[in-house]
Amino acid sequence: MGGFIARRLLLLPVLLLAASLVIFLLLHLGPSDPAMDYLRLSQVPPTEQALEHARITLGLDRPLAVQYLDWLSSAVRLDFGVSYATQRPVFQDLMHYLPATLELAGVALALTLLVSIPLGRWAARHHHRGPDHLVRLIAFVGVSMPNFWLGFLLVALFSIYLGWLPPMGRGGVTHLIMPAVAISLMSLAINARLLRASMLEVQGQRHVRYARLRGLAERDVESSHVFRNALLPIITATGMHIGELIGGTLIIESIFGWPGVGRFAITAIFNRDYPVIQCFTLLMVTIFVVCNLVVDIVYAFADPRIRVSRQGVQ
Amino acid sequence: MRAALGALTVLLFTLGLAGQAVAQTRLDVSWPSNVGPLNPHLYTPNQMFAQAMVYEPLVRYQADGTIIPWLAERWDVSEDGLAYTFTLRDDVTFSNGEPFDAAAVVANFEAVLANRERHAWLGLTDAIAGVEALDAHTVALTLASPYYPVLQDLALPRPFRFIAPSQLIDRTSAHGIRAPIGTGPWVLAETRLGEFDRFARNETYWGEAPALDEVNMKVIVDPNTRAIALQTGEIDLIYGADGPISPDTFARLAESGEYTTALSPPAETLMLALNSQHGPTAELAVRQAINHAVDKASMIESVFHGTQVPADTLFAPSVPYADVGLAAYDFDTARAATLLDAAGWTLDHGVRERDGQPLQIELVFVGNDAVAKSLAEIVQAELMTLGMLVRLIGEEESSVYARQRDGRFGMIFNRTWGAPFDPHAFISSMRTPSHADYQAQSGLDDKPEIDALIDEILASVDEDERQALYARLLNRLHDAAVYLPLTYTNVIAVADPALGPIPFGAMTSEIPFERITPMVND
Repeated sequence: MGGFIARRLLLLPVLLLAASLVIFLLLHLGPSDPAMDYLRLSQVPPTEQALEHARITLGLDRPLAVQYLDWLSSAVRLDFGVSYATQRPVFQDLMHYLPATLELAGVALALTLLVSIPLGRWAARHHHRGPDHLVRLIAFVGVSMPNFWLGFLLVALFSIYLGWLPPMGRGGVTHLIMPAVAISLMSLAINARLLRASMLEVQGQRHVRYARLRGLAERDVESSHVFRNALLPIITATGMHIGELIGGTLIIESIFGWPGVGRFAITAIFNRDYPVIQCFTLLMVTIFVVCNLVVDIVYAFADPRIRVSRQGVQ
Repeated sequence: MRAALGALTVLLFTLGLAGQAVAQTRLDVSWPSNVGPLNPHLYTPNQMFAQAMVYEPLVRYQADGTIIPWLAERWDVSEDGLAYTFTLRDDVTFSNGEPFDAAAVVANFEAVLANRERHAWLGLTDAIAGVEALDAHTVALTLASPYYPVLQDLALPRPFRFIAPSQLIDRTSAHGIRAPIGTGPWVLAETRLGEFDRFARNETYWGEAPALDEVNMKVIVDPNTRAIALQTGEIDLIYGADGPISPDTFARLAESGEYTTALSPPAETLMLALNSQHGPTAELAVRQAINHAVDKASMIESVFHGTQVPADTLFAPSVPYADVGLAAYDFDTARAATLLDAAGWTLDHGVRERDGQPLQIELVFVGNDAVAKSLAEIVQAELMTLGMLVRLIGEEESSVYARQRDGRFGMIFNRTWGAPFDPHAFISSMRTPSHADYQAQSGLDDKPEIDALIDEILASVDEDERQALYARLLNRLHDAAVYLPLTYTNVIAVADPALGPIPFGAMTSEIPFERITPMVND
């Protein structure tokens, strides 16, 4: 197990390096000229002289490989340069905004798990009856509805019409409810549906029938023989949902005026603020990779078959 | 009985208190970003309206184009227009108690001029030869060459405004300041990155004290969220020039009757620059036909819900020196068709051709700008009815910017800069190749003469002569039809009615919070 984690951790820098190269190239081989973007965002008229000056300041006059290595060596020291638009250090600002995003995504994740698991169990228990139909309807609506639209509907109902919840900003628990629901509904719907299907599948397996034949109470059969086995796909799905939830913050933070990295990044993307886009993308890659790693480890713990087979290989 | 009387007294007293007149003392407003470090002498990320709240100019620009004394109580100009002597008010201090005097003025000018390259876009920076304190309250400004808009440039929100000299670092502001200490009616009290900037009234302000105690600028990026924030009372005011909310939302809020909505007088002109260098627009007849072919009134009705005014000329007649009696190109499709026919562009299966070449023009706009896109589509449809093909090119902002610089367009969106830049700074920029105007005009045979005329205007000393020169320039540009003026844009305000009437600043870049006086509720 230790070896497995160590190998996965060693792979992390390699992945980040590859990602950094792709990000760097995508932005620098694109159609627009970073020097022009820099001048536009700094509100300097783009005279020939100013463009030349900007190219030298930003180091764009050097070969691409040199630029990349230079950027990389600074990035390793967590220096991602200065934003064109805010003229502030990019990394520090992202770190300033990150806790708000993690708070929102964390609550959304908790909401996803706390709601989807009981829903999925409930639906499976009442297969082809009322509760099952209801959960399937919720799941259908949840996956079909774009999160920003849901966000606006929630605001229209709870802030404008009923006046119960604040429409924007970060503060108490009430500020969290709508953005967290808007972000999590899709993951929640998928998870509930997945757990329902997984439980129905496990229910038909032989070990469950034997458990019933042994005269175990239906409640015990369901919780220790069906539910536990059915949870495995949920673990994998959750790993993917974390990515989806953080991705969801991009739009939702702008709608709810939530001061997080998502809103910061969206503004940077609109502005073509390259240093911010690069740092943000790398940060997201790191979060995704780490989350996947955690999921794999949890999976290994939860499923003895994986653990054993890995040890067998070793 | 006595108890009952006592209770009644308490009740009446409470009712009296509840009904007591209380006016709002704090204003919450939305802004798309934080206001920045508030360096008075630099540009992004410093927000102009906030710089203008904290720092003040020597002289102030008025809505009618005139200049009034501000931190300088009077000034004298030499005959040749090269020497300006300013007498400063003697009752002004910075918000930290430092005196505002000639030494402070000189220190600020020197800080700005130490970074001259950065301010090269502004005519005045180039013209200044020296600044000198004659005594504690007198400052002499000497120019190297005559430049008439000295006072207009001094009135700008940046860079010629004044920070307490103790806040400069090594006597410059080029690399930052210690703290934003100015003489203005507001002081920056608190900034929270990504959340808000809170301004408090400057209690030692020399002028009339603002009615409000605090102005809180909340960072709201999304236009829809801004409207919702107003509807739910998170903010009291939406104010801005560049579509802080969409025209539809403005119309909806106005129709609801629950808000004070206001539109400023024309602020800037939104137009298409027509390229006289190449393509069909190189021909005067085509440019004139385009000017006759677009129905601006219905365009504005459908895109802006009638909130703007159709533009007939490059500058609105209300702009200084611009009321020169230009005759509008009327919406007259028959006239446009005649012009094109006479130029040899004949209609064939709905498209005009000459020598086998179709009449096709590229129209460039910023792709994610919904308003520009709608306007572009209307222009396309209207020109199509006359057999002119318009190819729409929606690109990202920096690509459009690049096309403006190097003239890769047939028609391109462009706008004037608003007061106090219009007209002098805007015509000044027509001489610079990096501007769409230069590119649009450079196909005209007399472009060198036009540029020389602009030089002459900027150096003119006599008022009547200047007006005559402006008339010549504006007539020439109008006759050459190198622009299709579309609308005169304005600043919009949507507010909680309790704020009373919302005043507009003389410059689009300022928000006159100090003149907002909430009404007393009862």
